[in-house]
Amino acid sequence: MAPTQDPNSVGGGAKKDEATLKVPSKDPKKKDEKKDEDLSEEDLELKQNLELYVERVQDPNPELQKAALESMRQEIRASTSSMTSVPKPLKFLRPHYGTLKAFHETMADSDLKKYLSDILSVLALTMSADGERESLRFRLIGTEGDIGSWGHEYVRNLAGEIAQEYTKRQSEEASIDDLMELVQQIVAFHMKHNAETEAVDLLMDVEDLDLLLEHVDKTNFKRTCNYLTSAARYLPGPDDMLVLDISYMIYMKFEEYPNALQIALFLDNTQYVKQVFTSCTDLLKKKQFCYMIARHGITFELDDEMVADDDDREALQDIVNNTKLSEGYLTLARDIEVMEAKTPEDIYKAHLLDGRASSGASVDSARQNLAATFVNAFVNAGFGQDKLMTVPSDSTTGSSGNWLFKNKEHGKTSAAASLGMIQLWDVDSGLSQLDKYFHSNDNPIIAGALLGVGIVNCGIKNDCDPALALLGDYIDKEDSSVRIGAIMGLGISYAGSQNDQIRNKLSPILNDAKAPLDVIAFASLSLGMIYVGSCNEEVAQSIIFALMDRSEAELGDALTRFLPLGLGLLYLGKQESVEATAEVSKTFNEKIRKYCDMTLLSCAYAGTGNVLKVQDLLAQCGEHLEKGDIHQGPAVLGLAMVAMSEELGVDMEIRSLERMLQYGEQNIRRAVPLALGLLCISNPKVTVMDTLSRLSHDTDSEVAMSAIISLGLIGAGTNNARIAGMLRNLSSYYYKDMSLLFCVRIAQGLVHMGKGLLTLSPFHSERFLLSPTALAGIVTLLHACLDMKPIILGKYHYVLYFLVLAMQPRMMLTVDENLKPLSVPVRVGQAVDVVGQAGRPKTITGFQTHSTPVLLAAGERAELATDKYIPLSPILEGFIILKENPDYREE
Amino acid sequence: MLTVSVKWQKKVFESIEIDTSQPPFVFKAQLYDLSGVPPERQKIMVKGGLLKDDADWSTLGLKNGQKLMMMGTADEIVKAPEKGPVFMEDLPEEQQAANLGYSAGLVNLGNTCYMNSTMQCLISVPELKSELSNYQSARTKDVDQTSHMLTVATRELFSELDKSVKAVAPMPFWMVLQKKYPQFAQLHNGNHMQQDAEECWTQMLYTLSQSLKLPSPSEDPDAVKALFGLNLLNRLHCQESSEESSETESVFSLKCHISHEVNHLHEGLKHGLKGELEKTSPSLGRTAVYVKESLIDSLPRYLTVQFVRFFWKRESNQKAKILRKVDYPLELDIYDLCSEDLRKKLEAPRQKLRDIEGQKLGLQASAKSSSKGDDVKMTDAEGSSNQSGESSTGDQQEGASPHMTGIYDLVSVLTHKGRSADSGHYVAWVKQESGKWVQYDDANTSLQRGEDIIKLSGGGDWHMAYIVMYKARLISM
Repeated sequence: MAPTQDPNSVGGGAKKDEATLKVPSKDPKKKDEKKDEDLSEEDLELKQNLELYVERVQDPNPELQKAALESMRQEIRASTSSMTSVPKPLKFLRPHYGTLKAFHETMADSDLKKYLSDILSVLALTMSADGERESLRFRLIGTEGDIGSWGHEYVRNLAGEIAQEYTKRQSEEASIDDLMELVQQIVAFHMKHNAETEAVDLLMDVEDLDLLLEHVDKTNFKRTCNYLTSAARYLPGPDDMLVLDISYMIYMKFEEYPNALQIALFLDNTQYVKQVFTSCTDLLKKKQFCYMIARHGITFELDDEMVADDDDREALQDIVNNTKLSEGYLTLARDIEVMEAKTPEDIYKAHLLDGRASSGASVDSARQNLAATFVNAFVNAGFGQDKLMTVPSDSTTGSSGNWLFKNKEHGKTSAAASLGMIQLWDVDSGLSQLDKYFHSNDNPIIAGALLGVGIVNCGIKNDCDPALALLGDYIDKEDSSVRIGAIMGLGISYAGSQNDQIRNKLSPILNDAKAPLDVIAFASLSLGMIYVGSCNEEVAQSIIFALMDRSEAELGDALTRFLPLGLGLLYLGKQESVEATAEVSKTFNEKIRKYCDMTLLSCAYAGTGNVLKVQDLLAQCGEHLEKGDIHQGPAVLGLAMVAMSEELGVDMEIRSLERMLQYGEQNIRRAVPLALGLLCISNPKVTVMDTLSRLSHDTDSEVAMSAIISLGLIGAGTNNARIAGMLRNLSSYYYKDMSLLFCVRIAQGLVHMGKGLLTLSPFHSERFLLSPTALAGIVTLLHACLDMKPIILGKYHYVLYFLVLAMQPRMMLTVDENLKPLSVPVRVGQAVDVVGQAGRPKTITGFQTHSTPVLLAAGERAELATDKYIPLSPILEGFIILKENPDYREE
Repeated sequence: MLTVSVKWQKKVFESIEIDTSQPPFVFKAQLYDLSGVPPERQKIMVKGGLLKDDADWSTLGLKNGQKLMMMGTADEIVKAPEKGPVFMEDLPEEQQAANLGYSAGLVNLGNTCYMNSTMQCLISVPELKSELSNYQSARTKDVDQTSHMLTVATRELFSELDKSVKAVAPMPFWMVLQKKYPQFAQLHNGNHMQQDAEECWTQMLYTLSQSLKLPSPSEDPDAVKALFGLNLLNRLHCQESSEESSETESVFSLKCHISHEVNHLHEGLKHGLKGELEKTSPSLGRTAVYVKESLIDSLPRYLTVQFVRFFWKRESNQKAKILRKVDYPLELDIYDLCSEDLRKKLEAPRQKLRDIEGQKLGLQASAKSSSKGDDVKMTDAEGSSNQSGESSTGDQQEGASPHMTGIYDLVSVLTHKGRSADSGHYVAWVKQESGKWVQYDDANTSLQRGEDIIKLSGGGDWHMAYIVMYKARLISM
């Protein structure tokens, strides 16, 4: 017999020779057996045994055959526990694979043949050529015994071959029943042996995830679902929906309702949400669900099927309506001790810039006062007090009236509306503060008061519908600024509500030939917000008609971009549903056609991570256009919108945007900073920060402006010292350029938004869910920033208030069973990706222990540091209800 | 009869009875009693609509126990102030300039940064500006046509700069300057050549001193000379013959010679005031080496010092630059460069200045002593010191009798960046009346810090001072 050709030991040839020389001298017994010189005594015995078995298998006597097969099987089974190297029995049997295979052919069908098939199937694991799938072939004709007994590696190999075979048979439309039987066995084996990920992979390959439901149990369903949900991000539609469906069902099966609700919200499936409520019987848990829905920002009505008791239902509806948000936010603020109101000067920190900043500011600059108004509004958002607008008005000097009048014309609109921002979420006091401006005889002030009402009610629902009641009468007023104030207010306060009453009021404006363009533009935006992601046909029709009615000149106006945007928002994240409308948009005037096309595409695939759409958009950006075409701006924004959903996509997108900065035309370069701002919103990544800092000194002032705004966006609500420092330096660098300085001020306001307690990120619940209204708000602002001069630097600066839709406290607030704040120790640290990891890995790293309420930065996760309480939701963000742990023992 | 609850601000008025047979106005009157909000200011929200005064209760579909919401305050309605604030954006351009605190930049017309920086330094002299504004537009006989035109152009340029916020293109001035001094019109490869700023500076002062001489012959024959000119007392001493002679010379600037020993402006000035020259000695009847020592005999209002950084390099046929670092102070004392007579004159004002400064430092101590000892003299001194302090920084003309002290404050620096006089870039750094420093880099102006100004002392490839201008610190006696 020739020496075994072990591929594993080719490299060790020289060493082996050395050993060969020594061994014989020490052990004279082995002198003759030159070929087996490197084997130990045991191995030699094993080898000889196996060779004997191989001979015996070919023996005509079935008894002997059977005994030999049995023994062979014993040897193999005893050894295949680990596959770090080829097991000895397999190694020794390799030379005989051919012989055995040939013999197998000649055998008549019998149990023995099946036995031999089993063994050949295992041998094929190392021997079979690529693509032959012999292991599977022999398996299928072998005994249907326990496959697990051959070891993990065998099963894994088999699973791989099944996947290949499956695709082959699918294309041939052959039967797959025998395969599926095997799949059953493999899945069962994997699920029992902590290999959920492999089971899921196999089932995805053979497109039969339903099988999972039979095999999950209490110990492994969490890991399984975890893997399913994170895999969904990388699957093409409609597979991703299927995967999420399954994980929803698994969660429901094991009564893990909060997770089930999360997936229901992700799927935007109201039926599922209802099911969660009807299946769950615990009122306290339902309260927790309501908090989760409230954070997601969708409008949701509870009915008696979900909650039987009237009082309970009212209490739950209150939570869904976000009426307690202001209270919770203020609790957080008091705990962190940031209640003291801040002035814009506290934010500018001009004293840190040695004498270069303010030079002879003896006269008020309207632009700078307007900037201060915004900074004041953003910084003191939701705190209910500030030092410009809410100071008692009886004092003759420096009263609120005076600051209002320190703004010029349309600036007064933003100033009056800023009161709404300061009173954010506190409808009762907000409305009473705004009341006095309703009686003004100055149109911009009334417009501001109307917009303020909308802002105060942002995300808050109320049975009395105060916003509709107050604003409804103003949308048909004479003055267009008042109309815009009312329309925009409605859009902000009823975003996502799909309120038909408002649609009936706003739709006629769109098709009113006499209405000015700006009113139409804002009406379209507001309708887009109210019906965000609804694919509502009628609204789409109205906007399409409005677009078709525009004259050539009007289509060139900067505000016209809000019409396609309003249309796009209707399909936000709804993927294919946009196609019919996209087809219609092809008939538009060529001035707006491509802009519309890009906007629709980017909105429809926002947050999906769809690689094909990213490529489409990239192709659009690759073209070098003649002057005048503006559609590449939304295409660049679209790239960010599509890719923003998960970390990998974000990183890839940041890299490709860098490329575009180098090769793109000017209109692309202007949009790139905004796209970066969207990708890292409220998440100041250092690399992005540096890129934006570089761009903020760009020779093209529009690139610089968007980079500055984006610096504000990525640092929004973080109080990031580095960005604050950059902006401070920019404020002295651009102290002469009023427009750029205005942008710097706005960015400063954003960075210190809510004194660092807020976030603009539309993602929540560990970056899993995307709040559509929040995204709508941000995207609207970004589209406005594509052409700063006529909009934000012009008289429509109040579009900045659209950001309010995305503003949320970045807190974790624990409450007891009576929903009263409860302080418990929690660990807060960097979140660790634990998907597909075995055991119970740590979910956070580098943590610090605080007591609630705490702030959570981007990429951070919290966990309770005490066993005394049990949180009712596994995702510790926002409001968390704690239940006392009955098993807790004081130590 | 219905019972509802009404939420108003943070309060809830429970179980209010509505008489449905009465119009809603009656209900509002009920609420007026409770909240104090007059009915016309009440906004009551019923399911997405406002409650109208004449509405019919039955159509509203109110239910028993329904919650209503009321908005409204009894607050005073905000009224616009009688006089709105004045916004900078609304002001005419000249007023905006005034608010900016410094004048505009000058556009580079093609290698004219030497001219721009020179003019920016000169415009910072208010006295020169007022002299120019007094200059008659009609030419008098004594001034030649081109000088007159240049003077008028300078005046126009100065007033234009004061008015505008945006950078000014000094086209007319540039044309006239070329006419007057054709060397500035030299072309190289079709472009105007870079010129030496010092030459421009000297020529401008010369022209202005010529043309501004005449209008007020009675008082001061030469305004420019009074401002910039200084007299040097030159003493020639021949070591071989022990001959001595002295003469006075009038110059517009001092030179700071840079040699290996010179590290500081003061040393350079000393160096520049000493020299050797060969000249025919009447007593020896042949040429002999004379040592020339100069001392300052009269002090100007504005002392100009030129760093002799450029020298003619024969090998390369161009003006090469000495990059050596030469420090200069923000406050310059040239007492020891003065002649005996002048020193005597300076004694008293300097003493006074020292007293005042000492007093400022020990202000609290002196205040205490004056309150205790009823020291009238002391308070007198203090009063006058305040006055003089103002006059020295403000308008000198008003002080009773301003006296030179020999101490000067840095007011403007003209720097050069590059390796030779005819290339590189000139920039002016000027101190404003507000005490802030502004850099005039052609059309761009930017605020600078005082510390950074002293850093322009050379020793690298950064901007380095070429001409510095000091302003006399005056004191009234």
